[in-house]
Amino acid sequence: MDFEPKILGFLCNWCSYAGADLAGVSRMQYPPNIRVIRVMCSGRIDPQFIFEALRVGADGVIVLGCHLGDCHYLEGNYEAEKKFDMVKRFLKLINFDNRVRLDWVSASEGARYAQVITEFTDHIKALGPSPIGGDNPDKKILNNLKAIEDAASGDRMRALVGRERKITEQENVYGEQVDLEKFNKVFDSAIVEEYQRHRILVSLEEDTKSIKSLAAELEIDPSVVLEHIVCLKSRGQIDFGEFMGITPMFFKM
Amino acid sequence: MEKVGAVMVVGAGIGGSQSALDLGDSGYKVYLIESTTSIGGVMAQLDKTFPTNDCAMCIVSPKLVETGRHQNIDLSINCEILNVSGEAGNFTVKVKKNSLYINPDICTGCGVCGRNCPVEAIDLFNEGLARYHATSVKYPQAVPLVYAINKEYCIGCGVCAGVCKAKAVEYDRDDEIVDINVGAIILAPGFDEFVPQAANKYGYGKFKNVVTSIEFERILSASGPYAGKVLRPSDGDIPEKVAFLQCIGSRDYTGEGQPYCSSVCCMYTAKEAVIAHEHQHEVKPTIFSMDIRAYGKDFDKYIIKAQEEYGVRYIRSRISSVTEIPETKDLRLRYETEDGKVIEEDFNMVVLSVGLNPPNDAKYLAEKFGIELNEYSFAKTDIFNPVQTTKAGIFACGAFSQPKDIPETVTQASAAAGCVNQLLYEKRGTLITEKSLPPEIFVAGQPPRIGVFICHCGINIGGYVDVPEVTRYAKTLPNVVMSDRNLYTCSADTQGIIKEKIEEFHLNRVIVASCTPRTHEPLFQETIREAGLNRYLFQMANIRDQCSWVHMKQPEQATQKAKDLVRMAVNKARQIAPIDRIKLPVTKKALVIGGGITGMVAALNFASQQIDTYLVEREAELGGFAKYIYHTLEGGDVQAYLKDLINQVKSNKFINVYTNAELEELNGYIGNFKSTVIYGEKNERAEFDHGVVVVATGANEYKPKEYLYGQNENVILQSEFEEMLNTDSIIKNKKSVVMIQCVGSRNEEHPYCSKMCCAEAIKNALLVKKINPSTEVTILFRDIRTYGFKEKYYRKAREEGIIFIRYDENSPPEISTENSSLNVNVNSVKAGNLSIPADLLVLSAGIVASHEDNEELAKMLKVPLNDDNFYLEAHVKLRPVDFATEGVFVAGLAHCPKTIEDSISQANAAVSRACTILSKDEIEAEGKTAVIDVARCIGCGMCVENCAYNAIELIEDRRFGLVASINQALCKGCGACSGNCRCSAIDILGFTAEQIYAMITGRL
Amino acid sequence: MTETVLEEKKVDKNWEPKIVAFLCNWCSYAGADLAGVSRIQYPPNIRIVRVPCSGRVNPYFIIKSLTDGWDGVVISGCHPGDCHYISGNLVARRRFAILKELLEFFGIEPGRVNFMWASAAEGERFAVLIRKATKIVKELGPNTKFQREWC
Repeated sequence: MDFEPKILGFLCNWCSYAGADLAGVSRMQYPPNIRVIRVMCSGRIDPQFIFEALRVGADGVIVLGCHLGDCHYLEGNYEAEKKFDMVKRFLKLINFDNRVRLDWVSASEGARYAQVITEFTDHIKALGPSPIGGDNPDKKILNNLKAIEDAASGDRMRALVGRERKITEQENVYGEQVDLEKFNKVFDSAIVEEYQRHRILVSLEEDTKSIKSLAAELEIDPSVVLEHIVCLKSRGQIDFGEFMGITPMFFKM
Repeated sequence: MEKVGAVMVVGAGIGGSQSALDLGDSGYKVYLIESTTSIGGVMAQLDKTFPTNDCAMCIVSPKLVETGRHQNIDLSINCEILNVSGEAGNFTVKVKKNSLYINPDICTGCGVCGRNCPVEAIDLFNEGLARYHATSVKYPQAVPLVYAINKEYCIGCGVCAGVCKAKAVEYDRDDEIVDINVGAIILAPGFDEFVPQAANKYGYGKFKNVVTSIEFERILSASGPYAGKVLRPSDGDIPEKVAFLQCIGSRDYTGEGQPYCSSVCCMYTAKEAVIAHEHQHEVKPTIFSMDIRAYGKDFDKYIIKAQEEYGVRYIRSRISSVTEIPETKDLRLRYETEDGKVIEEDFNMVVLSVGLNPPNDAKYLAEKFGIELNEYSFAKTDIFNPVQTTKAGIFACGAFSQPKDIPETVTQASAAAGCVNQLLYEKRGTLITEKSLPPEIFVAGQPPRIGVFICHCGINIGGYVDVPEVTRYAKTLPNVVMSDRNLYTCSADTQGIIKEKIEEFHLNRVIVASCTPRTHEPLFQETIREAGLNRYLFQMANIRDQCSWVHMKQPEQATQKAKDLVRMAVNKARQIAPIDRIKLPVTKKALVIGGGITGMVAALNFASQQIDTYLVEREAELGGFAKYIYHTLEGGDVQAYLKDLINQVKSNKFINVYTNAELEELNGYIGNFKSTVIYGEKNERAEFDHGVVVVATGANEYKPKEYLYGQNENVILQSEFEEMLNTDSIIKNKKSVVMIQCVGSRNEEHPYCSKMCCAEAIKNALLVKKINPSTEVTILFRDIRTYGFKEKYYRKAREEGIIFIRYDENSPPEISTENSSLNVNVNSVKAGNLSIPADLLVLSAGIVASHEDNEELAKMLKVPLNDDNFYLEAHVKLRPVDFATEGVFVAGLAHCPKTIEDSISQANAAVSRACTILSKDEIEAEGKTAVIDVARCIGCGMCVENCAYNAIELIEDRRFGLVASINQALCKGCGACSGNCRCSAIDILGFTAEQIYAMITGRL
Repeated sequence: MTETVLEEKKVDKNWEPKIVAFLCNWCSYAGADLAGVSRIQYPPNIRIVRVPCSGRVNPYFIIKSLTDGWDGVVISGCHPGDCHYISGNLVARRRFAILKELLEFFGIEPGRVNFMWASAAEGERFAVLIRKATKIVKELGPNTKFQREWC
């Protein structure tokens, strides 16, 4: 049987949703795999929506908004772009970045809407089913995605992504414009660190574990695991458990 | 130029803080300038301190809090020195105060900004083992507890300003440049530790499990990254075999490190080994060292304890390289034992005992302040006054002039303050302002009217505890007439509100429910005092540090607990009463016991401040032990110095010298002593009053019973040999001189190192070579302890062909005589049995303290002796010249064996400490002291035994017979007496039994 | 406290002990503060009474606490050798060694009264000790000994 992907679409009310309506009014045909959720603006899309959709088994997620500069709310789609960029960076860590797409469709682009949806559906079809969809989801990837979801919704990532445009394109609190390279360095290391820390937390939900077993399981160098453990401990999220011989065990608080 | 009664102290580690406190307490305005964002320096990073294993944070933090709050100390952090002009007595220093981007006057140190900062950077305080944020404070107990933004890492996102409820974040806050006018300057910038170069032979930076000793210190610390668990960085396991490598970057002639000895590493390594084993018994430490330089007071005992009780293994070898075993990340060391065997051994972790380098900005500081540096880039100092730099009016203390440990640093810090006193004493009190306070409102006997102020602390309390509910509840408690809540109770505007409420509601007790009294009680006490209430009519309930922060996930229970804590405070407040601090007059005169160099330096320092001084010397002549010393190892002319000192003392009109004198009686207490001295050949008697006592009674040279001393004329002591070399040319006829070290030191009878014998031996050996190069000199030693820059002379001695042979304690050299010639048989650890003919055998005899003499005086002064009969100071680390008995100080050899320079520093330090008393007309005693109910006392004397401060004695009372009596001037209010009193006759003001019962009873 | 209240407490599964803790100002109180600053969580059952030194704690304070209905008592001072008042904690240690035996003689369960050391740097250790003490007292149940038999 042919694989029929499940695709979720988030469409902004003023442009893309209207574009989809236009496609309908114009009787343009496109694959029936997409289920649409209407939001008022693409800027409304919390990264967590996308991760959650993937986690419950969506094979692809597409976000559509107004063209840049056309936003009904002036700059909502610029914000959407930044947030989506973070989503992509996170998903790249588990090779899921090609299951999501952000694109722009205006209210007058019914044909373009049909074309985008068709292309994306074909693209997902070619990729095959999501390894975490269906009845036997890959536990490991699922856990990693959970870690990503937690990491992306933490204060640290939200603070960074929320301020990115202002400080890299306009000016920061000192009236200086932050070099994009400097920002990206901070941003990228934050993504990797938060991802790994949350993987540790997700893993510790199962059982108390040692650094070495965490390292083997998560394929991270044990010395790096230790560094994350120190940080998580100072945040009050984990603590020392018993020692197994010379090896300390850790548990999630 | 007019002298200025202010002093600048540069560097606020333990040394700088001590100088600042001494000077602030003596009536000078002090500008304390710190380059980082908090004070405390390296000591605040340490876990424990040797040789007592005291918790470093416990002992240093009260001192730092005191420094931060002192009304005469103006503390500036994050500063740079830009320019210095002027001369001794009147300098102008241009200082740049770099912006913290957070207003330190508003910041409450709650830490919400740091917890929300999205940028992580390396935590320097934890030596790279943990992270901190771009907005941060150096460590949780930092003084001042003010956050700062590290602009280098900050991306300017603005989150911190958003979360700061106190509105302390000010991104447009500018750097500030100020000119500070001072009369003298003390430099205490400390040191920077040696950092192994990028490609080093120990694999530091490459192998995860190779760490430096300062990193290991953070690993050990209970408040460090691993919470005090000893874990190795590669995988977080406990390292069972830990190797400590000594002399990393010290005693190093390869050019990678420094040629001098860093003085402290042998001891801190032993301490780290002991503590590591104590924290985790699985840890089995091995220390690789060349010599074990445990030369300080009670250091040798510590080394022995480390070996015998903690199983620390010592191997005499210097490791040349470290390799990593890739699979296990263990480390393989290759070393040669003393008998020549090459051994390979694997360890789980390697700690590099890194040496102390001059501070990185030493050259910059030297240039700005116009002082010279020595060959190692440390501050160059006077040969007989180690705190005097090459420029008058500028002093150096601590590790800036030579690597040294904490007590030596603290001693020098006080010594530098002592020297400042000599320069600026007339200007004392000219630049400090006494606060004028309204008279106290009379409240005794009135019913309590309690006001309760409950703090939200931004969201720190309010976020977890239902503050409005607690406020309502407080209002229902007996005698509470008002309760109110504030966003920040500690802010300046709230202080105004508290004062208004006191007036409006006629409050006579005030309670603040907020953070910890340890940091904030004095602030609120000051506020209520300004409103006319006695300071002690105040109580605090700690509902943040001990409630909201530790029960963040249980808001209901936290609220209930906060209510309970407030109720307990109210119950106590109902019982509290005003306490008057008693004031004692001060006799501005000093008694110095002992007329050696130490005593004379102390007396001259007092006299130069126009303080009448009584100098009591037992012998007929002044001069003490220095009479037998001609030169120091570094070449200082001791005889000339001594002669000059004696002349100055004799001609000074403020010094009354009593020779052939004994102290017959000494009574009284701080500020008010009375002594009787019998002096002169006719046994005349003199009586005088004085405010302080300096004990500088010195010590004696050991008179050996061993090695044929006194039986063979060719066996002489090092001091006799020195006299021979300096007065006679007989050495030219001697072919061979053998010296034996540690005679009467480091044995069962005298289990301590006499510190100076190694230097003395090398000094005399070098002199022999100078007079007659063909004379063979052999030194038989156990460890060569030429610490600090003295290492240079050890090296020189080896270059000059002086032979050094190490013997083991268990097989000391033996002497045989054939005809009239001597033969020294020694079992060399390296070369086996050797027989060395000697024309002259020189014994390096140790320093010993006389039990009989010292005990008699100790009893009279009510001060303790240690096991070796040296005087025991109040605190080994932080109060090295004080006694627990106030007003009495110790200096010189009476304290423990030490060099002339150290003795001089101690003498000046003792004077500085004494001047904190003598500079005042009256001193205020602690208010919260013990009080006695004589009607209940049965005179059992238990309290007398328990008092560590000798504040209690038994007296005959007219009505009640034998009863205890407490000297308010000496009591510290610890309560050890009260807790043990079988008839509840003793109570502690401020913590009375009634008050504590009120807290524990009346529970709902 | 009346017996009926106690009876009710016994059946109450959600019973939480009340513990009074006497902490010396210089080490243990500071350690408790550090636990706070480091946000180390521990059970909210203790109520802290600050005293200058563990040497200040009169045995009667402890007995009074028990007769007054506290379910547990904690006394914590500086580590031996670390005392701010030189030897106050050593005096306390000797005193408590005797008191401990006396309390056991009275039938007070070991564990209801805890003597411990925590330094100013040991926020973590403080929290661990409090967790442990709370757990022990909770297992012992309400303190009835003094109320029922002696008062």
